[in-house]
Order: sequence, then C-alpha cells, then structure tokens
Amino acid sequence: MLILSLILNGVVLGLVYTAVALGFSLVLGVSGVINFSHGIIFTFGAYFFWAMYQSIGYLPAMVLAPIFVAGIGYLVERVIIRRVYGQDPLFGLLITLGFAIAMEELIRMIFGPAAHNVDPPSFASGLLIIGDFVYSYYRLFIAGVAILMIGGTWILTEKSNFGAVVKAGMFNSEMVGALGHNLYKLRLYVMVLGSAAAGLAGILAAPIWSVKSGMGNAILMPSFLIVLMGGLGSIPGTLIGGLLVGLSISLGTLVVPRYVDIIPYLLMGVIVYFWPRGLMGQQNIIE
Amino acid sequence: MDKVRKDPLFWIFLVFLCYPFLPYLGNFVSLGTELLLWFIFTLSFNLCLGQTGLPSFGHGAFYGLGSYAAAISFLRFYGEDSFFLPLITAIAIGALFGAMLGWMIREKRGVYFAMLTVVFTQVVFGICWRWDAVTGGEAGLSGIDRVSILGLNMKDPHTYYYFCFVVFLLCAILIRTLAKSCFGMSLQAVRQNYIRAQYLGYNTGKYKFAVFTISSAFAGLAGGMYCMLTQSAFADILDWSKSGDVVMATLLGGGTVSFYGPIVGSIIFILFKELLSALWDHWALIYGLLFVVVLSLFPTGLMGIIINRSRGKKSKKGLLPTPAKQGGGAEEQVEQTN
Repeated sequence: MLILSLILNGVVLGLVYTAVALGFSLVLGVSGVINFSHGIIFTFGAYFFWAMYQSIGYLPAMVLAPIFVAGIGYLVERVIIRRVYGQDPLFGLLITLGFAIAMEELIRMIFGPAAHNVDPPSFASGLLIIGDFVYSYYRLFIAGVAILMIGGTWILTEKSNFGAVVKAGMFNSEMVGALGHNLYKLRLYVMVLGSAAAGLAGILAAPIWSVKSGMGNAILMPSFLIVLMGGLGSIPGTLIGGLLVGLSISLGTLVVPRYVDIIPYLLMGVIVYFWPRGLMGQQNIIE
Repeated sequence: MDKVRKDPLFWIFLVFLCYPFLPYLGNFVSLGTELLLWFIFTLSFNLCLGQTGLPSFGHGAFYGLGSYAAAISFLRFYGEDSFFLPLITAIAIGALFGAMLGWMIREKRGVYFAMLTVVFTQVVFGICWRWDAVTGGEAGLSGIDRVSILGLNMKDPHTYYYFCFVVFLLCAILIRTLAKSCFGMSLQAVRQNYIRAQYLGYNTGKYKFAVFTISSAFAGLAGGMYCMLTQSAFADILDWSKSGDVVMATLLGGGTVSFYGPIVGSIIFILFKELLSALWDHWALIYGLLFVVVLSLFPTGLMGIIINRSRGKKSKKGLLPTPAKQGGGAEEQVEQTN
C-alpha cells in the first residue's frame, strides 16, 4: 500500500511539474529564451492566491490569480525578454535570472520571510479511504486540474491554427515571419499563456508546499530537467519527463532518502547521454 | 619600457602592489585578497566564455570543489603543516571534474551547453550538501590553517595577500599567453564560426574539452585559495547562483571583447555587492535589477563601450556568438584586444 501511494504521489507531483514545464518549454522553443523568471511567476501565482482567497473565496481567487500572473508575464515580455530575441541565449538566461532575484527579494520584503500555509478548499479536503488505502482528495483534485491543463495545451498546439503557427515557429521562426505571421505577437501570446499556466500551477501547489518566496527555485530546476529529458517542443515528451522526475523523487525516498534531490539530475544525465535531444525531441530546435 | 607601460597588467600590478599601503584601505586586505582570487576565477572563466563562446554555468561548482578539495585534503590527508599540497589537490580536482564534464558535453552548444552545466552544478551541490560525513553538510568544514612557508608567516593577512598577488600574476600571464597562442587563436575560430572551423579541419569538440579542463583547473585553484583565505569551506559557494555571479561579473566588465574585461567587471561587481549589502538588507533587489539594466543597455559591458568609443563605433549588440543556424554567425565580431 505504501508503494501504491508513493507511486500515486509521484504521478501527481509529475503532473504538476509537467504543467509548469510546458510553459517553460514553449517559451524556449518559440522565443529561444531560457526563461528563468518562470519560477518566480509560479511564486507570484501562489502569493496572489494567498492574498485573495480568504476574502473572495477559493474558486474566484483561482480564476483571478492566473489573470494577474498573465499580466506579469505580459510585462516581463514587453519590458525585458523582447530585448534579447535573436541574441545569445545566455543573455536571456541572465536577464530573466536578474529579474527573478530582484522579485524574490521584493516578495520577501513585502510579505516577510516566513512561509504561509493555505488550506485545501472545502470541496477537496478529506481523505479517500478504500480498504487499507488512504489518499487525500486534494492531491487527486490537483491531478485532475493538471491533466486538464496539459490536455488543453495539447489541443491548443496540435489541433488549432494558433498551435500550428507556434509549432512552425519552433522549427523556423524566420520562415514563419516571412509568411506574414507577426512573430513578436506570437512570442508574446506564448509567454502570457505560459505564465498563466505557471501561476495556476503555483496555486495548486500552494496547499502542499506552503507559500514561500523560495518556492519558485524549487520548481524551476525540475522544469529544466523535464525539458531536457523529454525533448524540447514535444508535449508527450514533456509529460514523460515530468512523470519520470515525479516518480524518481517519490520512489527515491524508499531507496536513498538522503540523496533523493539528485536522483532526477542523474537520471537526466543518463537520458541526455544516450538521447542527446531528449526522449521525444526533434531536430533543429534551438540547435 | 614603453611596451611595459602600455601593458594593462603592469598597472594592475602597481595598484595591487600598493593596495595594502593605501590609506583607509589597509583594513580591507581580505577584500583585496578576495578580489585577486576573483580575478583568477573570472579570467579563467573568460577562457571559456570570451575566447571559445562556451556559456558555462559550472564554474561555481569547480570553485566550490576546489575549496572542498583543499579543505578535505588538508584536514584528512596532508596533516596540519601543509600549504601547497592542498592547493595542488584543488587544481587537480578542478581539472579532473572539468575534464569529466567537458568530455560529456564537448559536442553540445548554446542552450544545451548552458543547461547541462547548470545541472552539473546542482548535482555537485546536492552531493556536498547531503554527504556530511565528508563535507560537513550544512555546517561546512572549518579549522583549515595557513602555515609558515619558507619563513613567511602566511597567517598574517598581508603576507597571504601578497602570496595571492603573486599567484594571480602568474595565472594572468599564463592565461594571456594561452589566449594569444596558436591554441587561443583556434579557440577564437571555434567561437566565431563553429561550422567553418569544422570544415577547416579543427576538431572543435577536442578544443572545447581542452579549454574547459584548463579553465576549471584555474577555477579550482582559486577555490582552494579562497578556502585558505576564509579557513573554511561551505556548500553555499557551490550554489549555481555563484556561477551566475561569475558570468555576470565577466559580462559586466566586457569579457567577451577584452582580455581585461573580467578584471574590471570583478572590481565593480565585488565592490558594488559589498557596499550594497552593508547598506541595505534587501540589497538583492537592486542587485537583480542591475543585472537586468546592465545586460539590456550595455550588452558589450564596460570595456566594450570603451573600445567601441576609442574606435569611433557605436555599441554593437550581440557580441557573443550567434547560434549557428545558417552556417554560423555572419556578423563581424570585435576581436579580442588588450
């Protein structure tokens, strides 16, 4: 029973990671920018939610906070990231890293260094008990929302016209521009959508990890790993990468509890050694 | 003599020779020592970034590994009266890990290279943080002592300052010679046009591997000397933000356009950081915004502005190699100049 709940935990964790990593992966693919502000946007989502949910209720806050976060994503793209398009990826990485450092300190300045606890909503609290097996409803709720987010992204990129342009932009952005699509707008939309998704994931994670200023860093590196493992620009690959990271963390606590932090990194090292573009990666993206 | 006077290294030599005697600065000897170590560190890093165009985020890890190597070997193996052996161990460990990482990622470029070095740093950090039987974990290692060498009392901060000064000069001359040699020219070819260099018959992977190993050996040395300076080793300096600091300092000074950019960058960076953190608790806010402003307004860094102005050119963007999509970066790049 322990194994089962660990596996389930790993899957839920993996789904949340995947939901965050998708935005990161799309921005990287379409804009060629390693967006290190993704983690802090995730944190912003959690903090906006924490500031609102007691006064306006759980669900309204869950809708409003991603909208605010999408606004932040819009501003970041307009003010910072658009300056580094077409330049060395290092510039993008450092500029967004600088922004993330500054914002983390701003959050610590305004809200203090302490962690804030958020209770799961009343409709998803309590425990699911089937015989010996006990599991919290809230984690199942998270899994449901994360699956909806991943499915939504999949439909958006695979089945819609917008998605076709996004995918084309990943392979050859100049050609997409030459065909008459506004490349800057496309990149902006992807950034806004990715930020909103990261914010929503931050809200979902808030009751499990508690809201604190460092929570963004804790999710940034796993998204990084997932993108490298799964392959850039592939949604199934990202899902596989996310599940691998989630499961390796969760099951790793059984085997080597002390070094559980580095298991996903080693796993990534092995995968990238044999599949240099990741498990499902395609050629010619950001190479 | 005229040639010597035109050499910037000569002026750096003069300033840092006199530094401990300057009025009001005499109390900041350890700050000066740290600056010298940062010079070694960023100059070595710039072999990767400025010469070869490798955006390495692993150098913080080599620095930290050097620091731990010196501390552990001092405390466990060499005994209490060794001074050079821990430093040599630090160089060896830096080179060893640099070679390992460099061999694995020698064929990678751009984003993938940067990402894999970040991941490496995280692994090293994770191990050093958790393996407290060897590394002391959160508490770190302490009790490293500087002993007398050749009648010089290294415990005196001034003597240690001058020791670091001599080591810095040696390293700087070595790195400059390397950068100007045939090997250094080949590295520039790899940076400026990757694909053309391959067509000309250069084994770019081997060059990258070699430069990465050399560079991480220097980073390890700087780390080992830092361990001797603080007489302790902590996992904090292995955090990947340390690697970010190095990249930032190098770019701030203009390491991609000038050999002495990293030195200028380190001075500004360290002084700025020390001043700010003394003045305000939330200094990281300004520090982060500085990253954003400097990189978006002056992508060529301070030396880039000076060089471009002296040549009557406007500041050029994108001095780092552009990702070679259509057969390499077509844009002409400012050469490495003194």
